[in-house]
Amino acid sequence: MPDLWDVATVATQFALYLGVLAAAGVMLCAALFRLDRYRGLAVGFALTGLVAAGLSFALKGAALTGDASGMTDPEMLGLLWDTSPGVALGYRIAGLGLIVLGACLGQVGIWVAVVGAGLAVWSFNHVGHIAARDDLALDAVLIFHLAAVAFWIGILAPLRRLVTTRMDLPRAADVSHLFGRIASLVVPALIVAGGTLSYYLVGSVDALVGTGYGQSLLAKVGLVALLLGLAAANKLRFAPALMRGDERAAAHLATSITLEWAVVCAILLATAVLTTSLSLPT
Amino acid sequence: MKHHFLAAALSLLATGVLAHSPLKATTPADGAVAGAVPTEVTMTFMRDIRLTRVQATHADHDPVDLDLGDQTSFATGFALPLEGMGPGTYVIEWRGLGDDGHPLTGRFGFTVE
Repeated sequence: MPDLWDVATVATQFALYLGVLAAAGVMLCAALFRLDRYRGLAVGFALTGLVAAGLSFALKGAALTGDASGMTDPEMLGLLWDTSPGVALGYRIAGLGLIVLGACLGQVGIWVAVVGAGLAVWSFNHVGHIAARDDLALDAVLIFHLAAVAFWIGILAPLRRLVTTRMDLPRAADVSHLFGRIASLVVPALIVAGGTLSYYLVGSVDALVGTGYGQSLLAKVGLVALLLGLAAANKLRFAPALMRGDERAAAHLATSITLEWAVVCAILLATAVLTTSLSLPT
Repeated sequence: MKHHFLAAALSLLATGVLAHSPLKATTPADGAVAGAVPTEVTMTFMRDIRLTRVQATHADHDPVDLDLGDQTSFATGFALPLEGMGPGTYVIEWRGLGDDGHPLTGRFGFTVE
Protein backbone atom coordinates (compact mmCIF):
# COMPACT_ATOMS: atom_id res chain seq x y z
CA MET A 1 0.00 0.00 0.00
CA PRO A 2 1.19 3.53 -0.69
CA ASP A 3 2.27 5.58 2.29
CA LEU A 4 -0.53 7.79 3.63
CA TRP A 5 1.73 10.86 3.51
CA ASP A 6 2.51 10.22 -0.16
CA VAL A 7 -1.19 9.98 -0.98
CA ALA A 8 -1.93 13.17 0.98
CA THR A 9 0.92 14.98 -0.77
CA VAL A 10 -0.25 13.97 -4.24
CA ALA A 11 -3.90 14.80 -3.45
CA THR A 12 -2.92 18.23 -2.10
CA GLN A 13 -0.72 18.97 -5.10
CA PHE A 14 -3.61 17.98 -7.38
CA ALA A 15 -5.94 20.37 -5.53
CA LEU A 16 -3.28 23.08 -5.75
CA TYR A 17 -2.95 22.71 -9.53
CA LEU A 18 -6.71 22.60 -9.97
CA GLY A 19 -7.38 25.59 -7.70
CA VAL A 20 -4.64 27.88 -9.00
CA LEU A 21 -4.94 27.08 -12.70
CA ALA A 22 -8.74 27.06 -12.78
CA ALA A 23 -9.04 30.29 -10.76
CA ALA A 24 -6.45 32.02 -12.96
CA GLY A 25 -8.01 30.60 -16.11
CA VAL A 26 -11.56 31.65 -15.20
CA MET A 27 -10.33 35.23 -14.64
CA LEU A 28 -8.37 35.22 -17.90
CA CYS A 29 -11.40 33.98 -19.83
CA ALA A 30 -13.73 36.39 -18.00
CA ALA A 31 -11.54 39.29 -19.13
CA LEU A 32 -11.07 38.02 -22.70
CA PHE A 33 -14.64 36.95 -23.39
CA ARG A 34 -16.46 39.46 -21.15
CA LEU A 35 -18.19 36.67 -19.24
CA ASP A 36 -21.00 37.56 -16.83
CA ARG A 37 -21.28 34.77 -14.26
CA TYR A 38 -17.76 33.84 -13.29
CA ARG A 39 -17.27 35.26 -9.78
CA GLY A 40 -18.53 32.26 -7.82
CA LEU A 41 -16.36 29.92 -9.89
CA ALA A 42 -13.27 32.10 -9.53
CA VAL A 43 -13.70 32.50 -5.77
CA GLY A 44 -14.40 28.79 -5.29
CA PHE A 45 -11.31 27.71 -7.22
CA ALA A 46 -9.16 30.41 -5.56
CA LEU A 47 -10.21 29.27 -2.07
CA THR A 48 -9.46 25.67 -3.07
CA GLY A 49 -6.02 26.80 -4.20
CA LEU A 50 -5.40 28.76 -0.98
CA VAL A 51 -6.30 25.83 1.26
CA ALA A 52 -4.22 23.46 -0.86
CA ALA A 53 -1.25 25.87 -0.87
CA GLY A 54 -1.28 26.06 2.94
CA LEU A 55 -1.70 22.31 3.34
CA SER A 56 0.99 21.59 0.77
CA PHE A 57 3.39 23.85 2.69
CA ALA A 58 2.60 22.08 5.98
CA LEU A 59 2.97 18.64 4.38
CA LYS A 60 6.43 19.65 3.18
CA GLY A 61 7.24 20.32 6.84
CA ALA A 62 6.00 16.83 7.72
CA ALA A 63 8.16 15.36 4.94
CA LEU A 64 11.22 17.06 6.43
CA THR A 65 10.77 15.42 9.83
CA GLY A 66 9.05 12.21 8.75
CA ASP A 67 6.04 12.70 11.01
CA ALA A 68 3.16 15.08 11.72
CA SER A 69 5.28 17.21 14.08
CA GLY A 70 6.90 18.84 11.04
CA MET A 71 3.58 20.44 10.06
CA THR A 72 3.87 22.80 13.03
CA ASP A 73 7.61 22.68 13.73
CA PRO A 74 8.85 26.32 13.68
CA GLU A 75 12.33 25.30 12.49
CA MET A 76 11.00 23.29 9.53
CA LEU A 77 8.36 25.84 8.57
CA GLY A 78 10.94 28.61 8.95
CA LEU A 79 13.35 26.74 6.67
CA LEU A 80 10.61 26.33 4.08
CA TRP A 81 9.51 29.97 4.39
CA ASP A 82 13.08 31.22 3.87
CA THR A 83 13.58 29.12 0.72
CA SER A 84 11.78 28.63 -2.57
CA PRO A 85 8.64 26.94 -1.13
CA GLY A 86 8.08 30.05 1.00
CA VAL A 87 8.47 32.36 -2.00
CA ALA A 88 5.98 30.25 -3.95
CA LEU A 89 3.52 30.27 -1.03
CA GLY A 90 3.80 34.06 -0.81
CA TYR A 91 2.95 34.47 -4.50
CA ARG A 92 0.04 32.03 -4.14
CA ILE A 93 -1.45 33.81 -1.14
CA ALA A 94 -1.05 37.20 -2.85
CA GLY A 95 -2.29 36.01 -6.24
CA LEU A 96 -5.27 33.98 -5.08
CA GLY A 97 -6.13 36.68 -2.53
CA LEU A 98 -6.24 39.28 -5.33
CA ILE A 99 -8.50 36.96 -7.36
CA VAL A 100 -10.95 36.75 -4.44
CA LEU A 101 -10.72 40.52 -3.86
CA GLY A 102 -11.11 41.31 -7.56
CA ALA A 103 -14.11 39.01 -7.90
CA CYS A 104 -15.77 40.75 -4.95
CA LEU A 105 -15.15 44.24 -6.41
CA GLY A 106 -17.34 43.57 -9.42
CA GLN A 107 -16.49 44.67 -12.97
CA VAL A 108 -13.88 47.16 -11.75
CA GLY A 109 -12.02 44.39 -9.99
CA ILE A 110 -11.58 42.15 -12.99
CA TRP A 111 -8.12 43.53 -13.78
CA VAL A 112 -7.12 43.27 -10.11
CA ALA A 113 -8.04 39.60 -10.34
CA VAL A 114 -6.15 39.17 -13.62
CA VAL A 115 -3.01 40.54 -11.93
CA GLY A 116 -3.66 38.05 -9.12
CA ALA A 117 -3.98 35.27 -11.70
CA GLY A 118 -0.56 36.22 -13.08
CA LEU A 119 1.03 36.13 -9.62
CA ALA A 120 -0.56 32.78 -8.77
CA VAL A 121 0.68 31.18 -12.01
CA TRP A 122 4.11 32.81 -11.55
CA SER A 123 4.41 31.00 -8.19
CA PHE A 124 5.16 27.75 -10.03
CA ASN A 125 8.32 29.32 -11.40
CA HIS A 126 9.92 29.17 -7.94
CA VAL A 127 9.73 25.48 -7.09
CA GLY A 128 10.32 22.32 -9.07
CA HIS A 129 12.71 20.79 -11.54
CA ILE A 130 12.52 23.57 -14.14
CA ALA A 131 12.99 26.37 -11.60
CA ALA A 132 16.10 24.63 -10.24
CA ARG A 133 17.75 24.82 -13.66
CA ASP A 134 17.95 28.61 -13.42
CA ASP A 135 17.40 29.04 -17.17
CA LEU A 136 15.38 32.13 -18.18
CA ALA A 137 14.27 30.66 -21.51
CA LEU A 138 12.96 27.49 -19.81
CA ASP A 139 11.25 29.64 -17.15
CA ALA A 140 9.46 31.56 -19.93
CA VAL A 141 8.39 28.29 -21.60
CA LEU A 142 7.08 26.97 -18.27
CA ILE A 143 5.05 30.12 -17.57
CA PHE A 144 3.60 30.11 -21.08
CA HIS A 145 2.76 26.41 -20.69
CA LEU A 146 0.95 27.04 -17.38
CA ALA A 147 -0.85 30.16 -18.63
CA ALA A 148 -2.08 28.28 -21.70
CA VAL A 149 -3.25 25.35 -19.55
CA ALA A 150 -5.03 27.81 -17.24
CA PHE A 151 -6.71 29.44 -20.26
CA TRP A 152 -7.93 26.03 -21.44
CA ILE A 153 -9.17 24.90 -18.03
CA GLY A 154 -10.66 28.32 -17.32
CA ILE A 155 -13.16 28.19 -20.17
CA LEU A 156 -14.62 24.79 -19.27
CA ALA A 157 -16.97 25.67 -16.40
CA PRO A 158 -18.21 29.03 -17.75
CA LEU A 159 -18.81 27.58 -21.23
CA ARG A 160 -20.63 24.56 -19.85
CA ARG A 161 -22.81 26.89 -17.82
CA LEU A 162 -23.65 28.86 -20.99
CA VAL A 163 -24.48 25.82 -23.13
CA THR A 164 -26.75 24.35 -20.49
CA THR A 165 -28.79 27.55 -20.22
CA ARG A 166 -31.19 27.72 -23.15
CA MET A 167 -31.36 31.53 -23.20
CA ASP A 168 -27.56 31.78 -23.36
CA LEU A 169 -27.05 29.60 -26.44
CA PRO A 170 -26.22 32.45 -28.89
CA ARG A 171 -23.71 33.75 -26.36
CA ALA A 172 -22.34 30.21 -25.90
CA ALA A 173 -21.89 29.94 -29.68
CA ASP A 174 -19.95 33.22 -29.79
CA VAL A 175 -17.72 32.29 -26.86
CA SER A 176 -16.98 28.77 -28.11
CA HIS A 177 -16.23 30.11 -31.59
CA LEU A 178 -13.87 32.80 -30.27
CA PHE A 179 -12.21 30.37 -27.84
CA GLY A 180 -11.68 27.93 -30.71
CA ARG A 181 -9.99 30.62 -32.81
CA ILE A 182 -7.61 31.60 -30.01
CA ALA A 183 -7.02 27.96 -29.08
CA SER A 184 -6.02 27.13 -32.66
CA LEU A 185 -2.98 29.36 -32.07
CA VAL A 186 -2.38 28.63 -28.38
CA VAL A 187 -2.73 24.84 -28.42
CA PRO A 188 0.03 24.12 -30.99
CA ALA A 189 2.33 26.42 -29.01
CA LEU A 190 1.25 24.61 -25.83
CA ILE A 191 2.24 21.27 -27.37
CA VAL A 192 5.63 22.65 -28.43
CA ALA A 193 6.16 24.09 -24.92
CA GLY A 194 5.22 20.78 -23.28
CA GLY A 195 7.53 18.88 -25.62
CA THR A 196 10.39 21.28 -24.88
CA LEU A 197 9.97 20.96 -21.11
CA SER A 198 9.72 17.17 -21.37
CA TYR A 199 12.90 17.00 -23.43
CA TYR A 200 14.85 18.99 -20.86
CA LEU A 201 13.44 16.99 -17.96
CA VAL A 202 13.81 13.48 -19.38
CA GLY A 203 16.72 13.92 -21.79
CA SER A 204 16.57 10.70 -23.82
CA VAL A 205 14.23 8.14 -25.35
CA ASP A 206 15.75 5.45 -23.12
CA ALA A 207 14.85 7.46 -20.02
CA LEU A 208 11.39 8.12 -21.44
CA VAL A 209 10.53 4.44 -21.83
CA GLY A 210 12.78 2.95 -19.16
CA THR A 211 12.06 4.99 -16.03
CA GLY A 212 8.98 5.49 -13.89
CA TYR A 213 9.18 9.23 -14.53
CA GLY A 214 9.33 8.76 -18.31
CA GLN A 215 6.50 6.21 -18.33
CA SER A 216 4.30 8.50 -16.24
CA LEU A 217 5.09 11.32 -18.62
CA LEU A 218 4.05 9.10 -21.54
CA ALA A 219 0.76 8.35 -19.75
CA LYS A 220 0.23 12.09 -19.36
CA VAL A 221 0.94 12.64 -23.07
CA GLY A 222 -1.65 9.97 -23.90
CA LEU A 223 -4.23 11.81 -21.81
CA VAL A 224 -3.34 15.09 -23.51
CA ALA A 225 -3.91 13.40 -26.89
CA LEU A 226 -7.35 12.33 -25.66
CA LEU A 227 -8.07 15.90 -24.58
CA LEU A 228 -6.99 17.20 -27.98
CA GLY A 229 -9.43 14.79 -29.61
CA LEU A 230 -12.30 16.13 -27.52
CA ALA A 231 -11.24 19.72 -28.22
CA ALA A 232 -11.09 19.00 -31.95
CA ALA A 233 -14.63 17.60 -31.87
CA ASN A 234 -15.81 20.73 -30.07
CA LYS A 235 -14.15 23.07 -32.54
CA LEU A 236 -14.91 21.23 -35.77
CA ARG A 237 -18.39 19.80 -35.05
CA PHE A 238 -20.24 21.13 -32.02
CA ALA A 239 -19.21 24.82 -32.06
CA PRO A 240 -20.07 25.32 -35.80
CA ALA A 241 -23.41 23.52 -35.25
CA LEU A 242 -24.11 25.77 -32.28
CA MET A 243 -23.34 28.80 -34.46
CA ARG A 244 -26.01 27.54 -36.89
CA GLY A 245 -28.50 27.42 -34.01
CA ASP A 246 -28.58 23.63 -33.62
CA GLU A 247 -29.76 23.11 -30.03
CA ARG A 248 -28.74 19.43 -30.02
CA ALA A 249 -25.16 20.60 -30.45
CA ALA A 250 -25.44 22.33 -27.06
CA ALA A 251 -26.14 19.01 -25.35
CA HIS A 252 -23.24 17.34 -27.19
CA LEU A 253 -20.94 20.21 -26.25
CA ALA A 254 -21.99 20.01 -22.58
CA THR A 255 -21.22 16.26 -22.56
CA SER A 256 -17.91 16.85 -24.29
CA ILE A 257 -16.94 19.51 -21.73
CA THR A 258 -17.79 17.10 -18.88
CA LEU A 259 -15.48 14.53 -20.48
CA GLU A 260 -12.82 17.22 -20.89
CA TRP A 261 -13.07 17.93 -17.15
CA ALA A 262 -12.50 14.25 -16.38
CA VAL A 263 -9.43 14.11 -18.64
CA VAL A 264 -8.09 17.42 -17.29
CA CYS A 265 -8.38 16.05 -13.73
CA ALA A 266 -6.51 12.89 -14.79
CA ILE A 267 -3.76 15.03 -16.38
CA LEU A 268 -3.44 17.17 -13.24
CA LEU A 269 -3.26 14.01 -11.11
CA ALA A 270 -0.52 12.60 -13.34
CA THR A 271 1.35 15.90 -13.05
CA ALA A 272 0.97 15.83 -9.26
CA VAL A 273 2.52 12.34 -9.14
CA LEU A 274 5.35 13.46 -11.44
CA THR A 275 6.20 16.56 -9.42
CA THR A 276 5.92 15.13 -5.91
CA SER A 277 6.76 11.45 -5.99
CA LEU A 278 9.02 10.47 -8.85
CA SER A 279 12.71 11.13 -9.36
CA LEU A 280 13.95 12.68 -12.57
CA PRO A 281 15.96 10.26 -14.72
CA THR A 282 19.67 10.71 -14.03
CA MET B 1 -12.03 6.26 -16.42
CA LYS B 2 -11.21 8.62 -13.58
CA HIS B 3 -11.30 5.79 -11.06
CA HIS B 4 -9.06 3.61 -13.22
CA PHE B 5 -6.56 6.44 -13.49
CA LEU B 6 -6.67 7.04 -9.74
CA ALA B 7 -5.99 3.35 -9.15
CA ALA B 8 -3.07 3.47 -11.58
CA ALA B 9 -1.63 6.55 -9.87
CA LEU B 10 -1.93 4.92 -6.45
CA SER B 11 -0.31 1.71 -7.65
CA LEU B 12 2.54 3.77 -9.05
CA LEU B 13 2.95 5.34 -5.62
CA ALA B 14 2.92 1.89 -4.03
CA THR B 15 5.54 0.42 -6.32
CA GLY B 16 8.03 3.02 -7.08
CA VAL B 17 7.87 6.26 -5.34
CA LEU B 18 11.24 6.53 -3.54
CA ALA B 19 10.64 10.23 -3.74
CA HIS B 20 13.66 11.93 -5.17
CA SER B 21 16.85 10.32 -3.92
CA PRO B 22 19.93 12.12 -5.23
CA LEU B 23 22.36 10.33 -2.90
CA LYS B 24 25.59 9.67 -4.77
CA ALA B 25 27.77 7.88 -2.21
CA THR B 26 27.94 6.96 1.46
CA THR B 27 30.45 5.57 3.92
CA PRO B 28 29.96 2.86 4.84
CA ALA B 29 28.60 2.04 1.39
CA ASP B 30 25.06 0.76 1.05
CA GLY B 31 25.15 -3.00 1.71
CA ALA B 32 28.73 -2.98 3.04
CA VAL B 33 29.93 -5.33 5.77
CA ALA B 34 32.21 -3.71 8.36
CA GLY B 35 34.40 -5.29 11.04
CA ALA B 36 33.61 -2.60 13.60
CA VAL B 37 30.99 0.09 14.14
CA PRO B 38 32.12 3.23 12.26
CA THR B 39 32.43 6.38 14.35
CA GLU B 40 30.69 8.45 11.69
CA VAL B 41 28.65 8.07 8.54
CA THR B 42 29.17 10.30 5.52
CA MET B 43 26.75 11.12 2.74
CA THR B 44 27.54 12.77 -0.58
CA PHE B 45 24.68 14.09 -2.71
CA MET B 46 24.55 14.97 -6.39
CA ARG B 47 23.01 18.37 -5.65
CA ASP B 48 22.84 20.72 -2.70
CA ILE B 49 20.54 19.61 0.10
CA ARG B 50 19.77 20.85 3.58
CA LEU B 51 19.51 17.81 5.85
CA THR B 52 16.69 18.04 8.40
CA ARG B 53 16.67 14.62 10.09
CA VAL B 54 18.86 11.53 10.03
CA GLN B 55 17.95 8.42 12.01
CA ALA B 56 19.91 5.25 12.66
CA THR B 57 17.95 2.07 13.24
CA HIS B 58 19.52 -1.05 14.72
CA ALA B 59 17.70 -4.32 15.23
CA ASP B 60 18.08 -4.32 19.02
CA HIS B 61 17.48 -0.61 19.66
CA ASP B 62 14.90 2.10 19.08
CA PRO B 63 15.70 4.51 16.21
CA VAL B 64 18.25 7.16 17.22
CA ASP B 65 18.45 10.68 15.74
CA LEU B 66 21.97 11.49 14.58
CA ASP B 67 23.33 14.88 15.65
CA LEU B 68 23.47 17.25 12.68
CA GLY B 69 25.58 19.68 14.73
CA ASP B 70 26.29 22.80 12.73
CA GLN B 71 25.63 21.06 9.40
CA THR B 72 22.41 22.98 8.90
CA SER B 73 23.06 24.71 5.59
CA PHE B 74 22.75 23.59 1.98
CA ALA B 75 25.70 21.40 0.97
CA THR B 76 26.52 18.22 -0.94
CA GLY B 77 28.63 16.50 1.72
CA PHE B 78 27.82 15.62 5.34
CA ALA B 79 29.66 13.68 8.07
CA LEU B 80 27.60 12.70 11.12
CA PRO B 81 28.81 10.98 14.29
CA LEU B 82 27.33 7.52 14.85
CA GLU B 83 26.75 6.01 18.25
CA GLY B 84 27.74 2.35 18.23
CA MET B 85 24.93 -0.10 19.02
CA GLY B 86 26.88 -3.33 18.59
CA PRO B 87 27.03 -5.89 15.80
CA GLY B 88 24.12 -6.26 13.43
CA THR B 89 22.42 -4.36 10.63
CA TYR B 90 22.23 -0.56 10.71
CA VAL B 91 19.78 1.37 8.56
CA ILE B 92 20.35 5.10 8.10
CA GLU B 93 17.26 7.03 7.02
CA TRP B 94 17.78 10.64 5.96
CA ARG B 95 15.46 13.53 5.14
CA GLY B 96 16.15 16.99 3.78
CA LEU B 97 15.13 19.86 1.52
CA GLY B 98 16.52 19.91 -2.01
CA ASP B 99 17.70 23.09 -3.70
CA ASP B 100 14.64 22.92 -5.96
CA GLY B 101 12.28 23.14 -2.97
CA HIS B 102 11.39 19.42 -2.95
CA PRO B 103 11.55 17.45 0.29
CA LEU B 104 13.91 14.53 -0.24
CA THR B 105 14.25 11.23 1.55
CA GLY B 106 16.18 8.01 1.27
CA ARG B 107 17.96 5.30 3.22
CA PHE B 108 20.99 3.08 3.12
CA GLY B 109 22.23 0.25 5.30
CA PHE B 110 25.30 -1.70 6.33
CA THR B 111 26.15 -4.64 8.57
CA VAL B 112 28.65 -4.77 11.43
CA GLU B 113 30.06 -8.24 12.17
